Amino acid sequence: MSITTPSRPPRWDQPFGSDITDADVDRLLSIPEIGAIERDIFPSHMPLAGILRNDSRIIHYKAGDIVFREGDYGNSVFLILEGSLRVVLAPGLPGGILGRREIQKNNFWQTLKQLWTQHKTPEVRGTQRYTQEAPLRKAVEPGETHVFLQDIPAILDSYRTAVLEKGTLFGELSALGRTPRAATVFAGTGAELLEIRWQGLREIRKYDQGWRRRIDQNYRKDALNSHLLATSIFSHLDVDDLQEVADNTLFETYGSFDWYLSYKKFQAQESIKEVKDEPIIAQQGAYPDGILMVRAGFARVSIERGHGRQTITYLRAGDFYGADELYRKWKGETNISLKVSITAIGYVDILRASTRIVEKHIFSYWDSGRGEIRKVKSVPSKMKRRMEDYFDQPLADGAMQEWVVQERFVNGTQAMLINLDRCVRCDDCVRACAATHEGNPRFIRHGKRFQNWMVANACMHCADPVCMIGCPTGAIHRSMPGGTVIINDDTCIGCETCANSCPYSNIQMVSIRDEVGQSILDPQNHKPILKATKCDLCADQRAGPACVLSCPTDALKRVDFLQWRPGSEI
Amino acid sequence: MTKAWGYIITAFIFFLLIWIWTLQINNVLGYSAFISGGALLVTIAFLSLFNVRKRLSFLLSAPVHQWFLLHAVGGFLALFLFWLHTGVFWPQGLYTQILAVLFYGATLSGILGLIMEKIYPNFLTRIGLECIYERIPQEIADLRNKAECLILECTKETDSDTLAQHYLETLRWFFQRPRFFINHIFGGQNAQHWVRQQCYISERFLNEKERGYLDQLFILADTKRKIDCHYFVQTLLKGWLLVHVPLAVAVLAMVFWHLIVIQVFFL
Repeated sequence: MSITTPSRPPRWDQPFGSDITDADVDRLLSIPEIGAIERDIFPSHMPLAGILRNDSRIIHYKAGDIVFREGDYGNSVFLILEGSLRVVLAPGLPGGILGRREIQKNNFWQTLKQLWTQHKTPEVRGTQRYTQEAPLRKAVEPGETHVFLQDIPAILDSYRTAVLEKGTLFGELSALGRTPRAATVFAGTGAELLEIRWQGLREIRKYDQGWRRRIDQNYRKDALNSHLLATSIFSHLDVDDLQEVADNTLFETYGSFDWYLSYKKFQAQESIKEVKDEPIIAQQGAYPDGILMVRAGFARVSIERGHGRQTITYLRAGDFYGADELYRKWKGETNISLKVSITAIGYVDILRASTRIVEKHIFSYWDSGRGEIRKVKSVPSKMKRRMEDYFDQPLADGAMQEWVVQERFVNGTQAMLINLDRCVRCDDCVRACAATHEGNPRFIRHGKRFQNWMVANACMHCADPVCMIGCPTGAIHRSMPGGTVIINDDTCIGCETCANSCPYSNIQMVSIRDEVGQSILDPQNHKPILKATKCDLCADQRAGPACVLSCPTDALKRVDFLQWRPGSEI
Repeated sequence: MTKAWGYIITAFIFFLLIWIWTLQINNVLGYSAFISGGALLVTIAFLSLFNVRKRLSFLLSAPVHQWFLLHAVGGFLALFLFWLHTGVFWPQGLYTQILAVLFYGATLSGILGLIMEKIYPNFLTRIGLECIYERIPQEIADLRNKAECLILECTKETDSDTLAQHYLETLRWFFQRPRFFINHIFGGQNAQHWVRQQCYISERFLNEKERGYLDQLFILADTKRKIDCHYFVQTLLKGWLLVHVPLAVAVLAMVFWHLIVIQVFFL
């Protein structure tokens, strides 16, 4: 079978799995889960066989190999073709077993010890670390490496697990919703899996009702209720009411999932054009038809100004909009329309709770003598303050926010912001960073500027950490307590996936050295071994980020732009 | 700013207490120099800790900007304590005069550095581009190469060497290394005026095509001017410490010797 169409998707020029054959595709089409898909519905330029051929790959796992870890980011879904897997139930496996870096703050002695244990040569690693038994092994597929669990019987004895049998589809919620994997899955026995990347899954979900129903049901069953419960306006509902809200909530996706790939292209465009090109979620002046809740990604809130749009603020996961307009309409006010437009910045998942259900469960609750609650809960306090305070702000006052959104710094939760009117360019921040990180700074004191502000090239610990997508060993991960994105040096294999994915170029590859300063070479190809490095917010330092603490003029801060405005802190 | 005022008031009260104490001792015909000297010694020792704190960034201690404030306030306190200790602006005797020269030098360089650190950051921001100091020589070399390539291309494309001759006579000097040091550090416009003038005077001798190259050359020269400004100002911002720190170390050494002398000959 050969798949050639005149208008095939450009992504198919680089198939997900390069070694998938026609025979493999035929075999996949014969298995019940895929065989049940109605092939004729797919358009000629997007045949099911083409999706299987180009958007999926077959991966083999040995017993103990980890398919993904709890907290990983991934953009693919898995279908078990042969064998069985184990999913680890709560409370899950400790980070050390998963090949993650256990972060522990240095005690006083360890802190003091840094005085004499620092090497003169940067990036020195103890070579013994790499000769010790690392939990990594080469996969059957060329170029693939898996982290594996070393003592499966002990793990099965000590932790609760459930079996995933042949034919099980899993990982679809994280793949479509850009949310962390909810649990760790590993191979209990040898297993063969079909991995479909999100683009392929999206197409199958789009054309096949069976898969769509299955995925949506899973989402409603597993994730929607907990998400609604975490949203402040629904937190007072009991289980039955919450279920009713969930049943009447629409799940919508806007924008491009892989926004980071086109990020640099957007940078060259005029900002006005970019705003106009953004997919519209809600239009200013339109009739409100429900509460919009952001489940993942970012949305721009803007108003019309002259011939363009002025950005007021932005929404991110957990934020919502529209309750105030709906409430006023419900109270009998006429000519109610949306005061702002909401557009997708890159990619956004929206939950739209219908007007009827909001009126029934929210407004009646607010109206039952709890007006104060409405004031507090109709919009998050920061949002409310911004909407009211910045609605009629001069263009100059909102320019910084406009720039932050345009440059996608909204993604950052710990952006390194430097006030150039205070910075004396002494580079003490750089030296302090180097002193706490193997003699090599983890950031570059250079970056994009706006007026007297500069966002330096330092990891921003993004809300949507696209760098974590595709890491084959899960070396780059979020720390569980603080959500800091960190790299486990021991399990990083230097594949550069994270460095290439980071839209802000904030991850650097470095060649590591031994104690005498010689580059450590890969014994197989004799090339220097590379490791990905980035800011870890000095996770193991007692005092916190050395860059911030070392600034003599208080010019450098780590900020979340949703909470920061010029003059608010520095 | 509130903290700075807090430190200033604390320093002022400290000085006042020491002053009153010395007055009381003088009234009973005691030797008050031990009190003022002791206070000065403690202050100088505290000032010297700032450099240690900067180098030990991983130690759990207050942020450096707090230390910097304390260092600045402590520096002024030390100056007043020095006057209280010596009793005069300019002491007698060679040894104490050397000590005074070093102390005044360290203090003045510190004040100068403080003023520069308040003025220059904003000045650098207004230039409009940002440069990492260590990369500046490379950036100037790149601009020079681009300018020379442009001149060669212009000569080749237009069959005219007017612009090339003019470049060799004037702008080549400008592109060789950072220029207009004095003017830049005082925020003058001479470099900007000079670059514009060199482009203006050659314009009338060029045809339309050559003027296109001249425009590109002007952009390169203007960028070079901005980088020069960064280079000189950052040199000063980094360089003043090369005066301040050695003088401060010398003061410490002299103070140490001063203590030994007092120990041996006075007590």
